[in-house]
Amino acid sequence: MDYLHTDWAAMTRNDWLGVFFAVGTFVAMVAVYVMVFNPRNKDALNSQGDMALRDEADYNNSGDKK
Amino acid sequence: MGATQEATPVKYDMDIVRWFTIAAVIYGVVGTLIGVYVASELAWPFLNLDIPYLTFGRLRPLHTNAVIFAFGGCVLMATGFYIVQRTGATKLWSNGLAWFTFWGWNAIIVSAVVTLPLGWTSGKEYAELVWPIDIAIAVVWLSFGLNHIMTTAIRKTSHIYVSNWFTMGMIVMITYLHVVNSMAIPVSMTQAFSIYSGVQDAMIQWWWGHNAVGFYLTGGFLGIMYYFIPKQAGRPVFSYRLSVLHFWTLTFGYVWLGAHHLQYTALPDWTGSLGAAVSLAMIIPSWGGAMNGMMTLSGAWDKLRTDYILRFLVTAMAFYAMSTFDGPVMSIKTVNALSHYTDWTVGHVHAGALGWMSMISFGAIYHMVKKLWNTEMYSDKLVNVHFWVALIGAVTYIVAMWVSGIMQGLMWRDYDEYGTLTYTFVESVSAMHPYYVMRAVGGAIFNLGTWIMLFNVIMTVRQAGAARGVSAAAARA
Repeated sequence: MDYLHTDWAAMTRNDWLGVFFAVGTFVAMVAVYVMVFNPRNKDALNSQGDMALRDEADYNNSGDKK
Repeated sequence: MGATQEATPVKYDMDIVRWFTIAAVIYGVVGTLIGVYVASELAWPFLNLDIPYLTFGRLRPLHTNAVIFAFGGCVLMATGFYIVQRTGATKLWSNGLAWFTFWGWNAIIVSAVVTLPLGWTSGKEYAELVWPIDIAIAVVWLSFGLNHIMTTAIRKTSHIYVSNWFTMGMIVMITYLHVVNSMAIPVSMTQAFSIYSGVQDAMIQWWWGHNAVGFYLTGGFLGIMYYFIPKQAGRPVFSYRLSVLHFWTLTFGYVWLGAHHLQYTALPDWTGSLGAAVSLAMIIPSWGGAMNGMMTLSGAWDKLRTDYILRFLVTAMAFYAMSTFDGPVMSIKTVNALSHYTDWTVGHVHAGALGWMSMISFGAIYHMVKKLWNTEMYSDKLVNVHFWVALIGAVTYIVAMWVSGIMQGLMWRDYDEYGTLTYTFVESVSAMHPYYVMRAVGGAIFNLGTWIMLFNVIMTVRQAGAARGVSAAAARA
């Protein structure tokens, strides 16, 4: 436990900023994993997989599956 | 497909893409040629000819700036403007601003060609240019970013394609990294002192250095991969879900691992450990992305027999997978103790630069040239020749540096029963000579490929111009 001991009173503003971004990034990562692996989002996400293939006309015919 | 779009077709702004594409092809030749010269200087030092402007220390940053920012930058801007229009069903937000970006970026490249051989440098790796040019880079880069982001904002499609996410991620992060790393107090027009001191300066430098690799040379080029592999293969992305995960995990993860460049230095030990741990974790999304690119060919693998452009794109994915395994392994402290400061690092970097970044760029350029000039390539056989020349050159270079680097590391750490170093440093330099020759030869072979591409692209553009002339004459008759 000594290894994990933190002197909270000695934390500077930069230390707290670092903690904020580290924890924020971790939470955001978890949120992305939940969003991507949620079965309800699977079809909606994968339906965009052919988006690059929808722009083959002379002019702009890139489509939207709305 | 929306009815509104069919009723009001939009013509893309593709002239700017054509110019960036041609510029990229030319810079590809020049940048690798300078690389061959500096590699030759290491093998045969008399080649510096006792001229200070030609010494390795001055030409090496010119080589890295030319290939990364001139060649790579023009590829990223050409493909960025190309993809954002085609996937967003809209023309550019500002064609005028795009031309400002083109001329501004080229002016910066010219300024690098002048200042670096003169020895004007900030001394920061991959950020060598002096402070007035740093400000110009920020302005021009932001003009590219603003245009790309605003074009995305005015898109006609509801979804933002993953390639554009990668490009925008690169734009945001490179702006942030470049500005923070370049913060300095000028003392003359050519000299400035970093506002960071000692170990903090080193940490900021490698926070920039590795994230330039992560967001520019990886993220930006992954945007290219996610558009051009499906296009060239005629297949949808294997798993679009995985591409979303690939983007966000790279974006959240990459920023943490710069400290692995500073193992065994004055930096606190835990920062290097954190850098190594995150580097290892990044193998997962990187390999997931590489597999996603390769598996996009499911059901179309036979195309590799006849589609030479696809060969470039898929081979790039193999090198991407290899580099993103090699790098994390090198970041582990035990391995780093052997690999750091040796040519193994140079081999690793060039596996990424020649195998991944260049190959994906060549594939994208060939694909775009056919579309932009509405023609077939002047010679498909030359595309195939370019592929094999590039592959042989890259492998020769990388293998030479791997062998040389591991030998260097082993020689430096070897000692006898009395605890005395077995080899002097000069002996290790001497032992490297055959590998330095091999590296120069590999680089020259790779450079030959860029000349082949330049010739093929010029002839293709001329062929397209001639065909348009014939069509116009027939129409008048």
